[in-house]
Amino acid sequence: MIILENINLTLGNRGILFDVNAEIPDTTWTCLVGPNGAGKTSLLKVILGTSPYSGSATDNSIEIYRNHDRNVAFVPQHPQIPAGMSVAEYVMLGRAKKDGWGTESKSSRNLVADTLKLTGLFGMQSQMISHLSGGEMQRALIARALVQEPDLILLDEPTSALDLHHQIAVLNSIEILKQRGVTIISTMHDITLAAMYADHIIVMQNGRILLSGASAQVVHSPELKSAFDNRINVFTLDSGRPVVMPTKDGLVD
Amino acid sequence: MSGEELRSIWRWQITLFAALLLLVIALLGISFGPIHIPFTSILRSFLGMDSHLSEQDRSVLFDIRLPRVILAALVGSALATSGAVYQTVFRNPLADPYLLGAAAGAGLGATIAITNSHGNLYGLLPAFAFSGAILAVVVSFFISGKFFAEPNSLLLSGIAVGSFATAVQTYLQQRHSASLRPVYSWILGELTAASWQVVTWSAIYIGVALIILLIVAKQLDGLMLTDEEAYSLGINPNKIRVIAVIAATLATATAVAASGLIGFVGIVVPHLVRGLTHRVTNRALPTIAITGAAFLVLADLGARTLLSPAELPIGIITAFVGAPFFLFVLRRKRLINQ
Repeated sequence: MIILENINLTLGNRGILFDVNAEIPDTTWTCLVGPNGAGKTSLLKVILGTSPYSGSATDNSIEIYRNHDRNVAFVPQHPQIPAGMSVAEYVMLGRAKKDGWGTESKSSRNLVADTLKLTGLFGMQSQMISHLSGGEMQRALIARALVQEPDLILLDEPTSALDLHHQIAVLNSIEILKQRGVTIISTMHDITLAAMYADHIIVMQNGRILLSGASAQVVHSPELKSAFDNRINVFTLDSGRPVVMPTKDGLVD
Repeated sequence: MSGEELRSIWRWQITLFAALLLLVIALLGISFGPIHIPFTSILRSFLGMDSHLSEQDRSVLFDIRLPRVILAALVGSALATSGAVYQTVFRNPLADPYLLGAAAGAGLGATIAITNSHGNLYGLLPAFAFSGAILAVVVSFFISGKFFAEPNSLLLSGIAVGSFATAVQTYLQQRHSASLRPVYSWILGELTAASWQVVTWSAIYIGVALIILLIVAKQLDGLMLTDEEAYSLGINPNKIRVIAVIAATLATATAVAASGLIGFVGIVVPHLVRGLTHRVTNRALPTIAITGAAFLVLADLGARTLLSPAELPIGIITAFVGAPFFLFVLRRKRLINQ
């Protein structure tokens, strides 16, 4: 269980996060949603342990910045793409923590091969990572996170650069992680997709948590509309699934 | 499903091949020169057997050739390894060991030693060059401020410090035009001063630096990613960067102090090894070190024999090969980026 208490984060003179309180249960999928600049990525970095914060952030009752033994996978929105590195090499980096840097066990090679098959990248293992398309790159990142066999995975906008087909493919592969008992925290622009996959949704605005709770409950709450300046509408399909649509300025629905 | 189809990231056979290549080239380097020493005599001397060599030939072998080849190997491996490390740390394929003002600082230090009119400081040239290189790098770090918050700011401050040091050096040269020649011959690089004494202190500093670099090398691959990714994979990126840059700078400064400015080794060799093996991983670092040694021993052999008995500055040989190669890399990089 990850418990955040009164988290504040300031970069230079600018406040980024203000009094953030949240509880994230193990083996669930929690989605951070909100407009750009709401502090979603910053909160992910606090949970990862790379951002200095005030307040208390604990993972299994241990303060996060003190604990260097956690196995947390991080999938960034804008990865640094190493020129000249092959897909196999790139995914193999995910084994570094388990095997030790600079070596790889035979079982790791098997795991990487299997994971490449699972993410549809097998056959491309010798290609340069810099030559991959946006969707393939995203799947390579997910594959690296999968072979890391983490307890917790943090994903920053895993679907933002993808078309609908690849969005679903990537989200399904993240769901595989959840089935394996991994805790998932992701930021996502698309609230409809967030509601479809995540167990919990945390809505953020201007560095604060506006509301949080079970996905269905959050999506239908009026606060969600105000977080997006009343520029969204929530419809319910016959199946009961919520769909969030933007409204057009000046038009009354 | 099995992973049989997935090849291992690095094959030790490549490293072994480079090591054998170094041995062969070193043997050629020891054998050829104004006086030819046959391979069999060299091997017999090393094994302590009767080598049928004259006293003069033995002296050439043990007091001139051997220290010179060893120094070339040390300097070559230092420059190639630190080049590869700088390229990874600064995420810049054209970064080279002289980047952070080290070369210009060393040049200024050497010029001060040569042009000093209050006595002969020529014997202290290595110490002056070493201090100049280290000082320039420290100043670059100091100016760039937040160490590695922005790797490019360190690069830019290195360029500024380098330009300043070069300006002061040029001014000193203008004031002491009589000493232009020794300054220039040092700037072009030379291994003629190789003695067992120089070999010993170079081996100590370069040895320490290389051991540190080979230890952190395994984690250097993590620096090709964002810091958050590197952290999640279990390394502290800033710690690795600081250790790597300090060790690479120590190796560079020692190489410069021992042999002057020998350009392009730090660019040519890492790109050659990575290009031929199609691997950017820093697991290649031992191979890059060995290949760098072989490259410079070979270049020195060329410097000694091409215009024999006259000698070319080794920096000219490496630049002759390196400059076109540098442009080739630059052009290929631009093609990739398009």
